[in-house]
Amino acid sequence: MSATNRNGWILIALTLGLTSGVAMADVVVVVSAKNPVAALSRAQVEDIFLGKTIRFPDGAPVVAIDQPEGSAVRDEFYNKVAGKTAAQVKAYWSKIIFTGRGQPPPSVSNTIEMMKRIGANPAAIGYIDRNMINDSVRVVF
Amino acid sequence: MTGRNLSLSLIGFSLATMMLSHSACADVQGPYGSMFSFNGFGTAGIVHSSDDKADFVATDFEPNGAGYTRSWSASVDSLIGGQVTATVGPQLSAVLQLIAQQNYDNSYLPHVEWANLKYLFTPDFSVRAGRIVMPTFLDSDSREVGYSNPWVRPPTEVYNANPITYLDGLDASYRLHLGGVTNTLQGSYGRNLAFSFAGGSKFDAKYVWGIFDNAEYGPALARVGYLTSSITLNSAAALFDAFRQFGPQGAAIANQYDIVNKRSSFLTFAASYDPGQWFAMGEWVTSRSESFLGTSNGWYVSGGYRAGAFTPYLTYAQITQRSSSSPGLSLVGLPAYLAPAAAALNTGLNEALNSRPDQYTLSIGVRWDFLKNLDLKLQLDRINLGAGSAGTLINPQPGFQPGSTIFLLSSVVNFVF
Repeated sequence: MSATNRNGWILIALTLGLTSGVAMADVVVVVSAKNPVAALSRAQVEDIFLGKTIRFPDGAPVVAIDQPEGSAVRDEFYNKVAGKTAAQVKAYWSKIIFTGRGQPPPSVSNTIEMMKRIGANPAAIGYIDRNMINDSVRVVF
Repeated sequence: MTGRNLSLSLIGFSLATMMLSHSACADVQGPYGSMFSFNGFGTAGIVHSSDDKADFVATDFEPNGAGYTRSWSASVDSLIGGQVTATVGPQLSAVLQLIAQQNYDNSYLPHVEWANLKYLFTPDFSVRAGRIVMPTFLDSDSREVGYSNPWVRPPTEVYNANPITYLDGLDASYRLHLGGVTNTLQGSYGRNLAFSFAGGSKFDAKYVWGIFDNAEYGPALARVGYLTSSITLNSAAALFDAFRQFGPQGAAIANQYDIVNKRSSFLTFAASYDPGQWFAMGEWVTSRSESFLGTSNGWYVSGGYRAGAFTPYLTYAQITQRSSSSPGLSLVGLPAYLAPAAAALNTGLNEALNSRPDQYTLSIGVRWDFLKNLDLKLQLDRINLGAGSAGTLINPQPGFQPGSTIFLLSSVVNFVF
């Protein structure tokens, strides 16, 4: 396949919005190492990130944090826990925002920022690429 | 738009501008992130109708649309909305939303769609006061936000049964987590005063109250709702004033059928299933009024399949009126010179009794998420008008054929920010 041809195909894939599936990272859900929560189910993670609950299963308050819009890790996370594409997540929040029922989780600019936020707040929950795990966080899903 | 609504809108716009400039200059940060957030949404659309003898409109508020007035109409679906949300603390928030769309008088002056304060007593119990949603339908919360919906517009057979989207009053919402089920029970109370419909008829709804229950289990959702109010609508006032000229007999008929403080209600059932790759949903409404409006039933089923950025969908929707008739004024004993007038009134009454829409629509369309926060939709509708009915069409012209079949071609771009 010639380079021109290949670029053409990439362009078409981009246009169709099919690129999210190309670079699959292994995404994990993490909380602060100081948080007592040991594990969460997929449905519990989904409820937290879609704003359906604002507590951990033990009743402690939870603060969800998103990766930046358009990042591969974010797209994969929502695909994995909610079966939704970025556009579907946006459409879901549009329903919530425009009736004043809530706002989506605040997003950070990158994984470093995500780790800082989680380290600083035992109530925080986020998601990162498995390769980025360190001692300050615990994988709960 | 009435003077009162207009001044409300202007106040709203000034408030929004103030809040925006405040937010932009000061970038107020609370402990829960930014104190103010600004979001917007909009739809730019065009519709073409195969019938040029009547207008297709999306709601009863639009005075004209696609068909007779314009071959291609941009007014049917286009609108723009903006919203400021202020988070005052973990428990208190305020929301103000303005929408500009075609009004009954052909203007595009914005109106206040929401303006309310919300207080969270517990994470699962909240109360809102001010201008809140009229939550008649499954999609009432976001029926104006095209980007959040799969179609070009919610099926008119169901959603036009109550075109009013907001309520001035309060509502309370209680959420209960039972195993995997999230159940949300909501109660609403309020009123809507001084609405104007296309054609200039005035509408009031007092003592509006409703109860709605929503159960979600993973991708499955079921909803049941009941909304009732005391409504006044002067669209047939001339007819009933004429009846009142015929003494107690005429007054009794006028009181039975005219819409003056008449109890009207909506009972709705809805279900949806959306595992991600595809979706299916359906909704059923029976609208009942103790007036000449009578009873009508509307329902739709809709489904779609998500293939990358494309979501083709199919919808079938129907509205049927429960037919009724009245013997009207008894002509026996009437002076001969009054009998023709009385007979004409009886005909007018029976026409009014059968004036609710009767039609079914098959829609096929596709949504294309072509850019971040933007989608494009293309939809073809085939509307079959019931025998003798103009359906939901308005402005019928000489030569219009009730009971005919009409095709609509619609295209919209939806955006959110």
